[in-house]
Amino acid sequence: MLKEILNDNLDEVNASEVALVDFNATWCGPCKMIAPVLQELSEEFAGQIDFYGCDVDENQLAAQQFGVMSIPMMVLLKKGQRVDQKIGFMPKAFLETWLRQNL
Amino acid sequence: MGRYEIAIIGTGPAGLEAAITATVRNKKVLLLGSRESSLKVSKAHKIANYLGLPEIAGADLAAAYLKHIDAMGIQITEDKINAIYSMGDYFVLQGNENVMYEADAVILATGVVAGKPFPGEDENLGRGVSYCATCDAALYRGKSAVVIGYAPKEEPEAEFLAEIADKVTYLAMYPEETSFTRENVEVLRVKPLSIVRDGRMKLVTDQGEIESDGVFVLREAISPKQLVPGLATDGPHVTVDLQMKTNLPGCFACGDIAGTPYQYIKAAGQGNVAALSAVSYLDMKKRSGGK
Repeated sequence: MLKEILNDNLDEVNASEVALVDFNATWCGPCKMIAPVLQELSEEFAGQIDFYGCDVDENQLAAQQFGVMSIPMMVLLKKGQRVDQKIGFMPKAFLETWLRQNL
Repeated sequence: MGRYEIAIIGTGPAGLEAAITATVRNKKVLLLGSRESSLKVSKAHKIANYLGLPEIAGADLAAAYLKHIDAMGIQITEDKINAIYSMGDYFVLQGNENVMYEADAVILATGVVAGKPFPGEDENLGRGVSYCATCDAALYRGKSAVVIGYAPKEEPEAEFLAEIADKVTYLAMYPEETSFTRENVEVLRVKPLSIVRDGRMKLVTDQGEIESDGVFVLREAISPKQLVPGLATDGPHVTVDLQMKTNLPGCFACGDIAGTPYQYIKAAGQGNVAALSAVSYLDMKKRSGGK
């Protein structure tokens, strides 16, 4: 499950041991395509990584804070510190490897 | 519309031969491209080394291709594919106007794309360089952008971006007059040389530097890496093995996009191999219990 970020509130993300934030928008094709992939990964990595969805139109401040210039953008954080990020659609196997490398 | 077994992108010799072979093997095929086949074929004056057809004119060969396709009842869907997503078990192909097609396997036969990326383009993709103004426009509220447009049909994209951004600098890379209605679009006729990220984005041209928050490059042709996210490439070519397999399971490539030599008969031969590899991939998937 991806938890939706509301009102630019990143408190929970910052408190999480390992968090993945997916910056997306309803009008973005690649975002729609990667959504089910992230959904599956959130189940696979349950208990290890907390997954969040962040609609950039609803959370403009959060998007600005992360310097989002292209979506989808997936940011991996450990205790609120940005560890790595990926931009654009990626096949599931690639994302899986990336997440494992960063655990 | 249902899921196809094999989607083939491109209607040159590689794509057409792949479609014929896959149809012979009774697969549900989606063939995407232009009915005009490949201009590289039809514009060729004479082809000297095509087995069995000595000194054939390119136009005659192209006509023979279409006759063959029609005789087998293979339809050509005239749509342009802008992105192919590997979903794990299947592929989603995004056509113009966001039409989505689904297929179990994909064969890339689009031909080779001329034109190299600018220095700094690949490295900054998604960090200030974008290929889709309508996709990323909303992120440019109150900001400025440079758009490099290679055809007049890109102008509406730049105009759309200008509705949201404060300022758009449009580099027209073609001789035709531009027709923008918004006043915050400035048209320049300069030659871009490289893209540099230095806090903001800097586009270096033959007549000085243009600073902005982002650079949009709107080219006619899409590079294979951009077409299929995750695809392994080598310069302008897709990396394949002798079975025409790419690094993505279920995705195959053939013809010019798979590398040199750029020869008609080699393209057709590779199309045949790619289709047969796709068929065995589908059979294997079926046997292993997938649907």
